[in-house]
Formats: sequence, structure tokens, C-alpha cells
Amino acid sequence: MSKGTTVRMRRRSLIVLGFLVFFGFPVLALRLITLQLFQGDFLQQMASEQQLADTKTSAMRGSIYDRNMKPLAQSATVWNVVLEPAYINSEEKKEIICTGLSEILDIPLEKLRELSKKNSCYTVIKRKIDSTTKNKIIEFKNNHKISNGIRLIEDFKRFYPYGKFAAPLIGFTGADSQGLSGIEAYYEKILKGEPGRIVTARNAIGTEMPFDYEQIMPSKPGQNLKLSIDETIQRIMEKTVEEGIINNQVKNRGAAIAMDVKTGEILGMAVKGDFDPNEPFKIADPEEEARIEKLPEEQKAKEKSEALSKQWRNKAVSDTYYPGSVFKMVTASMGLELDVVNEQSTFTCNGSIQPVKGAQTISCHETRGHGTQNFVESLCHSCNPAFIMLGQRIGVENFFNFYKLFGFHNKTDIDLPGESNDIFFNKDGKMNLTDLAVASIGQNFGITPIQMITAAATIANGGNLVQPHVVKEILDENGNIVKTIDPVIKRKVISEKTSRRVIDMLHKNATDGAARNAYIPGYRVAGKTGTAEKIGLSEPGQKDYISSFCGFAPADDPKIVMLVFFDTPKGKNYYGSAVAAPVFTKAMQDILPYMGIEKIYTEQEREKLGNKTPNTIGKSIGEAKNMAVKAELKPVVIGSGETVLSQIPSPSEQVVQGGTIVLYTDNESKSKTVKVPKLTGLSLFEVNKTSHAANLNVKLSGQNLTESNVLSSTQSIPEGTEVPPGTSITVGFIHKDRIT
Amino acid sequence: MIGIKIKKHTEKHTGKKPKKRKLNKENFRFFSKIFSIKSGIDIPFLFLVMTILVIGLVMMFSASYPNAYYLHNGDSFHFIKSQLVFAVLGVIAMMAISCVDYHYFQKWVIPILITSFVLLILVLLMPARNGVHRWIQFGTFGFQASEITKFAIVVSFAHFITLNFNRMHTFKYGILPYLIILAPTILLLALEPHISCCVIVVLLAAGMLFIGGVKLKWFGMVLGAIGSALLYLVLFTNKLTYANNRISGWLDPFSPASGVDTWQTKQGLYAIGSGGLLGLGLGNSREKYLFLPEPQNDFIFSVVCEELGFVGAVVILILFALLVWRGMIISMKAKDKFGSLLGIGLTAQVGLQVILNIAVVTNTIPNTGISLPFFSYGGTSLLMLLAQMGIILSISRTSRMEKS
Repeated sequence: MSKGTTVRMRRRSLIVLGFLVFFGFPVLALRLITLQLFQGDFLQQMASEQQLADTKTSAMRGSIYDRNMKPLAQSATVWNVVLEPAYINSEEKKEIICTGLSEILDIPLEKLRELSKKNSCYTVIKRKIDSTTKNKIIEFKNNHKISNGIRLIEDFKRFYPYGKFAAPLIGFTGADSQGLSGIEAYYEKILKGEPGRIVTARNAIGTEMPFDYEQIMPSKPGQNLKLSIDETIQRIMEKTVEEGIINNQVKNRGAAIAMDVKTGEILGMAVKGDFDPNEPFKIADPEEEARIEKLPEEQKAKEKSEALSKQWRNKAVSDTYYPGSVFKMVTASMGLELDVVNEQSTFTCNGSIQPVKGAQTISCHETRGHGTQNFVESLCHSCNPAFIMLGQRIGVENFFNFYKLFGFHNKTDIDLPGESNDIFFNKDGKMNLTDLAVASIGQNFGITPIQMITAAATIANGGNLVQPHVVKEILDENGNIVKTIDPVIKRKVISEKTSRRVIDMLHKNATDGAARNAYIPGYRVAGKTGTAEKIGLSEPGQKDYISSFCGFAPADDPKIVMLVFFDTPKGKNYYGSAVAAPVFTKAMQDILPYMGIEKIYTEQEREKLGNKTPNTIGKSIGEAKNMAVKAELKPVVIGSGETVLSQIPSPSEQVVQGGTIVLYTDNESKSKTVKVPKLTGLSLFEVNKTSHAANLNVKLSGQNLTESNVLSSTQSIPEGTEVPPGTSITVGFIHKDRIT
Repeated sequence: MIGIKIKKHTEKHTGKKPKKRKLNKENFRFFSKIFSIKSGIDIPFLFLVMTILVIGLVMMFSASYPNAYYLHNGDSFHFIKSQLVFAVLGVIAMMAISCVDYHYFQKWVIPILITSFVLLILVLLMPARNGVHRWIQFGTFGFQASEITKFAIVVSFAHFITLNFNRMHTFKYGILPYLIILAPTILLLALEPHISCCVIVVLLAAGMLFIGGVKLKWFGMVLGAIGSALLYLVLFTNKLTYANNRISGWLDPFSPASGVDTWQTKQGLYAIGSGGLLGLGLGNSREKYLFLPEPQNDFIFSVVCEELGFVGAVVILILFALLVWRGMIISMKAKDKFGSLLGIGLTAQVGLQVILNIAVVTNTIPNTGISLPFFSYGGTSLLMLLAQMGIILSISRTSRMEKS
């Protein structure tokens, strides 16, 4: 028996070796090929899902700025409080934590105890606490030497520094900082950024493993928006629209849009009857809130959601309205462009017109009729029969073609959500002659205010249809420009010549036509009033109106166009000239100087500006009195001194002829005041008389002020205010006559 | 002969600078002696062992540091520190044992067997870990009883087969002694329970008896009986619900029946799949971040696949295959039957463990706890493994083969 191996042993060893090396290992290699090369993608995806489908952390939402980088919407860091009962190792500690958090966060202790019993690693117990509360928690943790069990996770809260400001335009965000309306919703993708993640280990049944494992992937902040909106212009517009709503008892909100005529940049978009985006789910109108509060439960929810969606709605973009006579500027442009009318064409108005034989007659607001008038006069009268006749000359086909060219049949593609389509008589443009007749005067078809102002901008800028937009630039987190939104000119609609002719007519209209309530000395305003009857849209038995005004300035080179409209005014007046035009004027009076538009006065205007006050300071009483009389001013001497120490108004101020100049001869008397009298609802003569008697000066605002037909409507200093004598009060006038 | 070559080389050097190099020369002689005893150790085998060991340590560190960091107070080196210590001790042990004549173990066969049985009984009295009794714990020092068992089976079978080589075809000498050793071993292992070790022990025993010359009919009968008994237990009784669940989880790891935990298998597959062709790069495994439970242990190969990709995994498979190949060649050319059988048994043990471990990780067979030699964390296990490699090296000194 040899000690060495036998042949059989070696043969059998080779079999074992072969089994291991040529069967075992190759099988494994094949398995790896299957798993790694063929099922790799699938397995990797499954792995990623489990690895990444964990807690998301919020990204800092981008800010929204006005065109001068004033912040309109910002995000601030807040914290979510997370309880991690699985990491708290003793019952004693649990109790301390529950008691402490219950106190700091004002959560019932029982509830926290219940939550702390679960073996969870992630339970959010309070969302969005501010830094004060956060610091309290940190202090609490330090005091009790708590290292595990409470976690603070960074989150962000949206806030709007100006509160109830441009709210329907900017919109608001929801609980997860997602944009729900307005710019916030439209630019959601740009603003929101990329959320980060906290990956926490989990086991097969989906609960978290009690391991202190996490991997934090930081979030990427959103980009910022720089709007074309100017905070100052927006503020002026909101204030005046709000006043307009109150003064005219407007039932269904009012709005104004201001736009750069050449670029389509929206400079302001005020929709009032709005809300505070910091509290979007609160009904902003306290009366409405009180009314709904009293309703029975089931009705309450419904009415509340209706009231909320109403206050959120951007009336200037999402709702259609009847433009009324404002549309006559478009009809006039069509007529001139088609050469079916010129400035000298005459129209005869008998107070009403029957567009087709047998059809209903359409009356003019001037029931006695305007008689025979040329085309310019027809526009200045806002004469319905004249424009119906013009519409007939234009014809159905041309009318609809231009209607489309002016952009009424398409959305304007403004960068705001929920833009509405127009509601024309027929989608394909078919209309009968009655339809054509009412369409020529802007009645019975619905367009959005943004479409109307875009068409007005087309007329004002030489005939180019621009695309309106509210965002000017997209900025990254460091303020570098990522993208600039360039003006988009969609097409040429009318010739430059037609544009100029219509502007001139509208300028005349705003100087001494129906739109003269929009007159602003020195600024060459052009515009058109509109009073649309809400046919088919009013409450039964009611006649409701939409009063609007659309105008631009300066007429020689239009820069800004503004549309103001009020839905259902229920005050004394409902005419566009009386309701919307004064609001336009009031806003533009402040906006035009702010924009740095130069005043150019006509001879006539200069005369009316009155005289400059002389400088009487340091002069003797007699000398000063003489100077005042020379300047056609009434001198009032107050004090016991010999020489004039100061005067109101100050030297070189404009005062109307026959105004008052107060000369103070000692310093004590300066504290003397007079009470401002009521200066509204009076005739021109009465205003002058009352102010003179009170030793006050008035500045008159309004165009073509003649004694017969104007009524004062506003005063710059309210009745009853104590002011030094000689103070100037601006009094606004409106024309009494009924002009649409 | 490499030993001689080195000697010549050193003489050349020392001839030039005799005084300065005297100490070094003695040191060198000592080390070169280790390599050159008898006909010298097999350098390719030693090279393969060391290569796999180094790769294994690197991968063990990579796989273990998230767990170490999160579960051991931020000490990322928790596992690798202890593993490195045992690796160094293991290499020293390997080299020392390679100098020992392997026939020495023949004298110790009975004590080794008795130790194995004592430990297998003792382990049942130890507190359970994860519901199984596998670990013998003395303070911080602990090891699996089955490590000794596997070695005991290999050594004793090699010894008894050598003794009765010419009577291996009979039942009395060819089957009975082995059944007497094997049956209680399997019973004790099943009580732990430690099914994977049962499988390895049975396969090792079968392989050695097969090579030892058992008639194929006996071989087939016994193997068949054990196989069908196991199958019966798994399929028709609740006694091995533990294993039963593993089988149902094996068939459908992604949507397991309720109560069947396939988390580890699933995570292993995710890791392997995520690796793709070239892997995520060394250190970049995502699954090791606590998704894969104990990635440094049995499922370390899935982390290897994830980080090194298909290419890296195949390279490691080839290294293991070469190791098995070389070990078998050494053993087949051993100068006597005992050396041959001992070497084959030890080599096959490594090969089987590698194949079964990777088969488990790739869900080729049902999940069962088998560690990957040289890779998985476990100090005593690594020490034991390297010592066994030392025995193979010792065999290689007498082996009739080219060692250059």
C-alpha cells in the first residue's frame, strides 16, 4: 500500500475541481450578467425609489420684485418641529419633552403623549414656527440636555410685505408654498426651486428603522422675478380705483390696467375688491364676512368659497366685459384704415337709428339727436347712430377681420393664469346687421379688459399689436439676469397714419369732447369714455352698467395707456365720463409727473394757471398790499407787526386770479388756522365764493370749466381740517351732462 | 527553487558589506527559510491568498464604515481595526503553520473531533443571537462553533480515508465511520439551527468520500437519503419554518408573502443591479448606507458588485477560481494521500463557501448565512481561514510541482 495518491483519486479530484471551477463559478458569473447587465436598470431604479422617496425639504421660493427691485413677495425661513419618539430612550425623558413642547408650541399635552408612544422617527407636530419659537425650543433642549428626539427642519413661509397690494395680480401660495394663483401660479416652475431630500433608512414594511441615519441633499432655491409693475404706479392706481369704488358705490369690483404702449409691459394692474395674500383664505371684505358668518352651515361653505374665488379672481384678465363706447376708437381706426370715412365725413343723428328695417331701434344717449356733425365731432359726442352708420360702411367681413387683427379673437398671451377668451356673436365671425350695429358701439360681445387695453396700445403706438407681459426679467438667487423678456410685436394692424389720426381725434375728445373729465393740463391726454349696458347680464328688472375709460398720454408721443373700469356702479352716476374718467385723471395726474413726462402747456392753459404770488417778505404792510393787488390777489394781513415776516402761499406759487394771499407780520399769528369748508357738490362760482370767504385758495381741476355745466366732486383737503389761511386746495370738477 | 535563489542573492550582497548587513542577513535567512523549507512553499498560491486578502480588507472597510459610523459612535474604523489585527495575526499564523509538518494534525484528529462536538453542544447553551445559537462568546471574543466543525470534518475524514484507503469500498470502513461522525454533527448543527453549515459539511464530506474511493452506490444512497430528509423537513413540516420562509422569499424577493422578510435579499439585489458594468466606484455604494443590513457580513459581495461593477466582481470571481484551482493542483500533487485529501478538503471548503455565498447574494439559492472567505467581517473566522491556508502551504512544501 503506497502512501501516494492513486490515479482514481486524482481523477475524482479533477471531477470535484471541475465541478467547482467550471460549474460553480460560471453559474455565478451568468447570474451577475443577468443582474448587472440586463436587470441593472430596473434594480437601480427600484433602489433609487427606496433610497430617495423620503422626506422632502422645501426649497427657498424665489422673490417677486417690482421694476425697481422693491420686494413684493418674499420667502422667510421658518421651522417645522419634528418629534422622533424612537430616539428617546427613557419614559422620563419623553415626559419632559412632551411637557416642554406642549408649553412652547401650545399643543395639548395629551396629544403629544399619544404621539410620543408611537415608535416613529418622524412626526411633524407643528409647522412653520418663527425664529422666536424656534429659539425657545433650542433653549429648552439645552436646558434639559436633550440631544435626540426633537428635530427642527427648515421650511419657508411666503410673505407679502405690502399686504393687500396687487394681490389678484401677484397671487398667493398654499401650505406647501406652491403658487395657487396669479404670477405665483403662472411662474411656479421658476419660483419654486428644487426641493432637497432627507433620506432616512426604512425596512421592508415601510416604517423607519431606529437607526440614526440620514443623508441630507440640500435644496436649490428658486429664481426671482422682476416685474414690469412699478410699485408707485400700482399704488396710485389702487388708491384711485378704491376711491372710485367707494364714491360710485360699485357693486361688482373695479380695475385699472396701465401699460407701456410700445413694449406691452404692464406698469400697474389694480383689481380692487381684493384680499391680503398673507391671509388669502380670509374674506377680505368685513361686511361680506359678517354676512356669510350668519348663514346656516351648509350654505356658509358654498358662499365662502364663492366669495374667496371672487376676491382672488383677476378681473382684468380672467373676466370678459362689454367695452361700450371705448370700442369706438377701434371702430374709428377700422373706418380710417379702410378709407370709408375721414375727419370731414358727416353723419346725421336723430337720436336713434334702425340698423335694419324691422329691427329694434337703437337710441343715442342724446335722445334729441346730435344733428349733422363731422366724424371728429361724432367721436367727441360719442354718437351711437354715427358709429352704427360707420359700422355699416365697414361691413361684417372687414369688421371681423379687424376684430381679429386687433387681437380680440385670441388670448393676448399675457403671462398670467386664467386668461379668458372673447365671447363674440359667432365663433366664426358670422353676424347679422343688428349684431354689426351693436358691435360698432362696443355692445353685446365680451372681451377681456387686457384685450381692450392691448388694442388701445396698438392705436397709440403707431399700429403694432404688442404682447402684454408682467415679468420683465428672471433673476437667479444672486440677482444676476437669467432671462430678459423682450417685447413681442405680434403684427402691424393699422398704418402709422391711421394711428396718428385716431390719436388726434381722441386728444380732441379728451380736451373738449365727451372725455374732457380726463383732461390734465399740460399732459396732452387722449382717450375715450365707455358706458356699456350689461344686457342679459343684469339682475332681473335692473339696468346695470360698466363704466370705463381708456386713454393714453402724451398724445404727441404716447407712452402709457390706462384702462379704468367699474362693474355695476350704483351711485348717482353710471356714465364712464362721470365714474371712470375722474379716476383716470386722478391717477394720471400723479403717474405722468412720476414717469417724468414733460408738461407742455398751451396758451390757453397757461392763462388759466393764474398768477405767480409776489415775494412780499421783508416789505412793509403797505408795500406788500400793493404788490398783492397788482397780482390780482386779495391780501389778508394777520398780526400786529410792521413788516411782512412770511406769506401763504409762498412766493412764486401759482394762484388763481382773485385768490387770497395771507401776510403774516408776527410769528405768533402763524398758529392761527381756518376750518376747510365743504367744497364738493358746488358750482364753479360757489366754490370760488366759499373759498374766498374762508381765506383759502383753490386750484381748479377739470377741462373746459364753464359755469353752466360743471359740479365740484372732489377736494384735496377734507372738510373740517384746520389749515393755515391761504392754503391751496385742489377742487376737481366733473361735467354734469350725460355723455357716454 | 526560489529559496536557493534568494540565498545566492543575499550572499552576493553580504560579501560586499559583511559587517553592516550581518543582522539583516540573519533575519533574511530566517524569513527565506520559511519559504524554502523542504521544497519551498507555492508562491502563486501565497500570492493569490494575499491578493484576495488585501482586496477583501479594502472592500470590508468600504462596506463597513457607514454602519461603523452610525452604529458605533462615529467610529468609521470600528470594524476594519479589529479585522486588520486578525488579518495580521492570521498571516503570521499562516506562515508559521506552513512551516509545520501537516502530518502533525493526524495525531490530533481525535482531540479535534471531540473539541468540535463539545463546542457544538456548548453553543446550544449560549444565548441566542437573532434567534439562533451559533456563537460562542467569551467577553468580547467570540467565534462560530461551526468554524471548528468544518475543519474537524476535513481533518478527520482525510485521516480515516487515508487509514482505510484500501477498504473504502466496504460499508464497514467506507461508510460507517463517517456516518458516525457526520450524523451527530448534522443533528447538532440543525439544532442551532445552521442549515448553511450543514450543507457545506455534507458537501465537503461527500466530496472527500467521493475522492477517497467510496463506491458510487453508497455515495448516492447516503447523499440521497440526507437530501430527501432535508427536502421533507423543508417542504412538509413546520419544524424548519425558518428555512421554509427563506425559500418562499427566494422565489419572490420583491413582493414577499406577509411574515416573510426578504429585506436583505432585496437590498442585495438592488446593490448588485445598481453596480452595472463598471460600478459606482470604490466607496460609492448607496445600499451600504443602512439599507443593506450589516453590509460587512454575508452580503458584502453585493456592495462589491455595486462599487466595482460587473467587471470588478468577475475579476474577484476569477481570483477565487484560480485560488481553488491552485489549491487543488497542490493537493493532487501532494506526496501522500493524507496531504492530498486534507488539501482538497480545505480548498473545497473555501471554494464551496465562495460559491454558496455569492449564490445567496445573487439570490441563485435561498438566503442562508454563509460568509464570504477573506471578505466578510469576522476576526476569528479570518484567522482560522488563514491558518487553513497555512496548512495548504505546508502541503505545498512536499508537493511534486514546479514552484518558480
